[in-house]
Amino acid sequence: MPVLKTIDPLLEEISGPTPSQILRKRVTGHSGLLFGVGVVLLLVIVAILAPVLAPHDPYAQSLANRMVKPVFMGGTWEHPLGTDHLGRDYLSRLIYGARVSLLIGAVAALISGVIGTAMGVAAGYFGGKVDTVVTFLINVRLAMPVVLVALAVVAILGGSLQVVIGVLGLLLWDRFAVVMRASTLQVRRREYVAAAQAIGASTPRVILSEIMPNIANNLIVIVTLEMAHAILLEAALSFLGLGVQPPTPSWGLMVSEGKNMMLFEPWLVLIPGFVLFVLVLAINLMGDGLRDVTAPENRG
Amino acid sequence: MRNAFMKTTALALALSVSATGAALADKANDTLRVAYTKELENVDSYFNSSREGVVLQRAVWDGLIYRDPETNEYTGNLATSWDWVDEKTLELKLREGVKFHNGDDFTADDVVATVNFVAKEENGVKTQRNVNWMESAEKIDDYTVRIKTKEVFPAAIEFLSGPVSMYPAEYYAEVGPSGMGLNPVGTGPYKVTEVVPGQHFVLEKYEDYHDSPKGQPSIGKIDIRTIPDVNTQIAELFSGSLDLIWQVPADQAEKLAEMGDQFTVSNESTMRIGYLSMDAAGRSSLDPNPFKDIKVRQAINYAIDRQALVDNLLKGESKVVWTPCFPSQFGCAQDVTEYSYDPEKAKELLAEAGYPDGFTTEFYAYRDRAYAEAISSYLNAVGIDTDFKMLQYSALRELNMKGEAPLSFQTWGSYSINDASAMVSQFFKHGSLDATRDDQVLEWLDVADSSTDPEKRIEFYRKAIQRITEQAYWAPMFSYNTNYVTSKEVNYTPTADEVLRFTTMTWN
Repeated sequence: MPVLKTIDPLLEEISGPTPSQILRKRVTGHSGLLFGVGVVLLLVIVAILAPVLAPHDPYAQSLANRMVKPVFMGGTWEHPLGTDHLGRDYLSRLIYGARVSLLIGAVAALISGVIGTAMGVAAGYFGGKVDTVVTFLINVRLAMPVVLVALAVVAILGGSLQVVIGVLGLLLWDRFAVVMRASTLQVRRREYVAAAQAIGASTPRVILSEIMPNIANNLIVIVTLEMAHAILLEAALSFLGLGVQPPTPSWGLMVSEGKNMMLFEPWLVLIPGFVLFVLVLAINLMGDGLRDVTAPENRG
Repeated sequence: MRNAFMKTTALALALSVSATGAALADKANDTLRVAYTKELENVDSYFNSSREGVVLQRAVWDGLIYRDPETNEYTGNLATSWDWVDEKTLELKLREGVKFHNGDDFTADDVVATVNFVAKEENGVKTQRNVNWMESAEKIDDYTVRIKTKEVFPAAIEFLSGPVSMYPAEYYAEVGPSGMGLNPVGTGPYKVTEVVPGQHFVLEKYEDYHDSPKGQPSIGKIDIRTIPDVNTQIAELFSGSLDLIWQVPADQAEKLAEMGDQFTVSNESTMRIGYLSMDAAGRSSLDPNPFKDIKVRQAINYAIDRQALVDNLLKGESKVVWTPCFPSQFGCAQDVTEYSYDPEKAKELLAEAGYPDGFTTEFYAYRDRAYAEAISSYLNAVGIDTDFKMLQYSALRELNMKGEAPLSFQTWGSYSINDASAMVSQFFKHGSLDATRDDQVLEWLDVADSSTDPEKRIEFYRKAIQRITEQAYWAPMFSYNTNYVTSKEVNYTPTADEVLRFTTMTWN
């Protein structure tokens, strides 16, 4: 929304909308952001309230009730999304699976975010040898195919939630480092940084209170991108049997378990696949939206 | 309506998957197209250990003796008669006029060369138990040969009718196992005309096949392709570029059978048994090791609902099994301790053993992930937490040899040898795969394995098997079955030993 321009700057100051009003307007006007945040929030709530929401125990197997069809394909409301190949309630497993996906996405993004941001900011701020070393490390990291390295490490250490989170967290920091380095390089030359240095602020203080707030919007975007990336990688690893181990419900694992019957019971694959798609889409839309809303050039 | 929709979806998927284009069954070219799920390490039958290898072995080579899969009677194949000269010497009269695929005559020299080669451990035959009972062979005349066994070995006839096949002496000496694998030569009903590792094998009817109890081959050509994914196999079956698939999982076979008139689905039991192996001897690093306690092992036995597994997951001809051997095997006594499903009793036993809250253990499996998951659910239900690990067969075998797997889901197919020694003696005689190491069992099995008196063998196998089940060293669970799906053009009646017999297949 264009802000009304008036001749008198004082009048403009008084009559124009306040910054928080502008922000609210831009947030509510951004449908992608609203959708993304809505879906992610919903799934977070579902994941937290899983024990309350799940209609059945996600681990309770009933071999006599295998592959019951979901309600929209002629099943009953006893199992709204049907049951899997061991007769476990599909909806309950889906709900508990949200915990695994979100946990892995969030923690892996956090770990790699801390590593990547620290490296990137250090390289951008100090330059010189630090920059050379960090750039070298980034190049090394970029030369390694993530999936292959993750597969190899998980194959050696054995798959478990902790291992998957750890491996992804230690592998996905490259984009953080690249973007944070570039952003820091830009911000470092600004007058306010020089001013802070001139009044004798310590290096940590300059970084934390002058540089970080001004590159945070880039960070948010990378966090969401990498979160979606980590969630997809977990699904891929679990699909290959190297991610979280059964009976832990995971969406990737559910796709993998349903794959054998794909020709005859395609919903076994489609349901977890669809939820995975919606979550990743929502996180990406949220990231895009946040960037649009917080980007300095859009601040009006 | 919905079903029709599903079928169309399945067919559409199938058509889109097969890029090779659809042709109807290749009856016109007299070529039967078969899919293998697994890649063979080597076509040479002594240097692979998979079911697919056994199928090729029976088609390309012959043994000295033949066991009828229906009646279990032994008749001569490359030998015409045999006789024990003494306890450890078997004399065989050979069939005259048999020729190998390369034109060489089959004589006593071939038997002597083959036996002397495979019996030597340093030559590295993959499954030593198939051959290491033989000491050597000697030629008496061109068509008479004597095979000496190391110990008294009554199961010799069974082994000679199974895994021990005869190779052409001169050719094998020249090319060795790797050459044999690329260009196999035997006396069997089909000769190999093409081997492209990783892709396919082509077999052709051997016109000069001798008058063998296997019968004369009818179908002209067999094209075996390696297609690891079952769904792709089914898709190719739909599109008509495969005529026969086997080892089809129960669920898919059921759906294919429901599709009615397009395919013939037949199910046969196999000798393969699924069981849980426990670290009863305490070889693993687990400390304290709960599996040393008989109560824990019994609890595990009680915790599993074998009938539900058989009824809902394995289906078909599968049966609940209580013995560490397949019930039809000679000496596999069935009057043993049975542990029918009783989770409460399992919990009580765990509590008595000092684990009122259960314990955590690694749980390994190498195949049938769904079965393994179902089993681990049963164990979780009585309080045993499982750290589930799925490994490749070779990796798990290595762990087991080192005794590092505390609990694992194993299967054993006994190489279709209809004798309890092929399973019980394989696993309970303190070999590297023996996780129990019971001296008493060893003693009884030694007697049973080396006696020529059938009554005595039965008695001592029974003693050993009864002790194994009473001590709950294993949790035997079920026998496997195999689903064979053929297009309507193919006529085939499977046998109970999981061996595809191309010789008995005909076009409809």
